[in-house]
Amino acid sequence: MKLRCPPTSAANAPRHDGRARSAAVLGLLIAPLLASCGVTSRMEPYKQTDAVIDDGERVVILARRHHANHEAEQEFINCISDSLSKGKDGIAVHPSSEFEDKMYPWFEPSMAPLSTDDLSKLLEKPGVLEQVRETGVRFLIWLDGSTDRVASGGGITCAAGVGGAGCMGLAWWEDDARYDATVWDIKELSSAGTIHANVKGRSVMPAIVIPLPFIARPQAAACRGLTEQIRQFLTTPEGYGAGPEEG
Amino acid sequence: MRAVFRTVCRSTLTATAALLGACVSSVVVDARFPAPLIEPLPVRMGILYDEELKNFVHVEALPQQSAWTIDLGDANLALLSPLFERMFAETRTVDAVPVAPALRDTLDGVIRPRLEKFEFDVPIGERDEFVEVWMQYQLTLYNPDGSVVTEWPVSGYGKAELTGRREDSVRRAAVIAMREVGAAISTKFAEQPDVSYWLRERQDEAALSADLGS
Repeated sequence: MKLRCPPTSAANAPRHDGRARSAAVLGLLIAPLLASCGVTSRMEPYKQTDAVIDDGERVVILARRHHANHEAEQEFINCISDSLSKGKDGIAVHPSSEFEDKMYPWFEPSMAPLSTDDLSKLLEKPGVLEQVRETGVRFLIWLDGSTDRVASGGGITCAAGVGGAGCMGLAWWEDDARYDATVWDIKELSSAGTIHANVKGRSVMPAIVIPLPFIARPQAAACRGLTEQIRQFLTTPEGYGAGPEEG
Repeated sequence: MRAVFRTVCRSTLTATAALLGACVSSVVVDARFPAPLIEPLPVRMGILYDEELKNFVHVEALPQQSAWTIDLGDANLALLSPLFERMFAETRTVDAVPVAPALRDTLDGVIRPRLEKFEFDVPIGERDEFVEVWMQYQLTLYNPDGSVVTEWPVSGYGKAELTGRREDSVRRAAVIAMREVGAAISTKFAEQPDVSYWLRERQDEAALSADLGS
């Protein structure tokens, strides 16, 4: 799947000779830049059970927070939770912070179960299984990963004088959004599968008198893609995904 | 009285911090902490909250940054009160240890929490960086007569994305660190060797009393 950065307005320029020529020149200069600006995403779903979510059951999305150097951003968790619960085929999502409070301290970073075996042991503790049942949560989705800037370059120089001011140059940067969603089925006490999302976005900002930012948003694209995959994962039995989706 | 003491204390600390740096970043950690989902231990415990704990304010000037004042007084009580109430069969606050003779038969022990160390780091600038907070409490378990059963240092670490206001990130990291402390206290207190032995003694005494009573 490939998303383009915002189109320029050159194509809709009015028919005025001088302006049209300027727009055409600007368009010619910017077109190659736009071609290099975009988002590339790759989704790899893997489902190992035929479990699907039933009426009255909920999911909760939690960030893996035991890593020293990264963790899934809270805004990303919120994005997935909100998107998943919206629409006519929305899925009931339990707010993550509320779930962590109700289950405190068992889902704090240092205490959270790292495997379904750990989860089984946790559910044997007094009151824990009853509390989980009370929340109505059937599927627990662990999100791991982050969005990082992996490359950047170019430069823009600006100057100002008596006659005016302007900028010249080109800056670009690449962001890489990598996330893994691991789905645990609390009812079956097993791992239902994983979805890997890798979305790369290259943004460019040419400056011809004024800077024109064409910004790719790989994190937003990862949120949309992962939400759709999770929705299919939870509502379609085993074998819904025909392997990795590339674009 | 406490409010007056606190206002004077905070003003003094803020003035000191202002002298240390050109500007001061102030954080008041005000959060609600949930009670832990655990089985209470079958003991009656007195809780001694020192004024120092109730009015704890950390003041520090970070290199190349502003001075910081971080007020954890209310948060200490918000964390520890529901925690201890859920951890023990019965709790009551006490003013001193050893406890008054009239209270000795009504309590099995006294816990005195203190916030011993607080460290934090706020990176300068760039994206993908985290504010980090590390803190260490010292829990002292006493018998009602004032003899020390054990001292247990409990630490917690929290980090939060550096987004928006730096003060908000520090507050979030501090809350995460405090929740970690609460998690450790609620799940590991009874596992400490001295505490485990002390709990067994209390249970044996209770069983003996029940036998003698029947």
